[in-house]
Amino acid sequence: MPDRLSNRLKERRAELGLTQAELAERVGVTRKTVNTVENGIFTPSTILALKLAESLGLSVEQLFWIEE
Amino acid sequence: MNARSVSEKADYLSRRRARMLPFLAIIFLSQQATFFSTVNSPAPHSAYAVKISAWLVLSIVLLAALSTKGFWLQPREVRDLIDDENTRANRNEAMRWGFQFSMAAAVAVYASTFFDEALSARDAVHIVMTVGLAVALIRWGVLEKRAHRDA
Repeated sequence: MPDRLSNRLKERRAELGLTQAELAERVGVTRKTVNTVENGIFTPSTILALKLAESLGLSVEQLFWIEE
Repeated sequence: MNARSVSEKADYLSRRRARMLPFLAIIFLSQQATFFSTVNSPAPHSAYAVKISAWLVLSIVLLAALSTKGFWLQPREVRDLIDDENTRANRNEAMRWGFQFSMAAAVAVYASTFFDEALSARDAVHIVMTVGLAVALIRWGVLEKRAHRDA
């Protein structure tokens, strides 16, 4: 079974009071991409994961992890 | 154009594309149905040439839309944003589906020659291209709609 990447993007975004559109703007993607990453539909590239983590003030490991 | 209006416009266009892709596939397929229903009828040569040209032009435009960022009349910053990581991944998967279905259509066309009168090369290419393009358009539309849907 393929590994599934989980994340706390939605939770952290809510903590910072950001909308999906605002976060998308910060990292230079569309709202759709943030939506798919949040929902686990899309696995982001390392570059996007780093950008998302930086924008949300967390490390990549704090933001993403592999589901056991 | 400020960053906000660029991202809003990109989001709007991206949603519109997701809605349009299946319709484009239907229009494209219905055009083929008309073509194949009249291809063997004694139509004037000029009418046949117009149909072939129309199909070729539409196929090339759709292929270009599938292979590039599309939205050629939009500013570069909007086009770059629309073609972000998730869009590229969805398009790549759609192209993969299109290729696989094209190959399946090619095998079917080849196999059909064992049982029936051989198709002309033009008709065979027509079928293979139509299947590949239509499948890629539909698949891309499905993936884009799914990506826009909120959880």
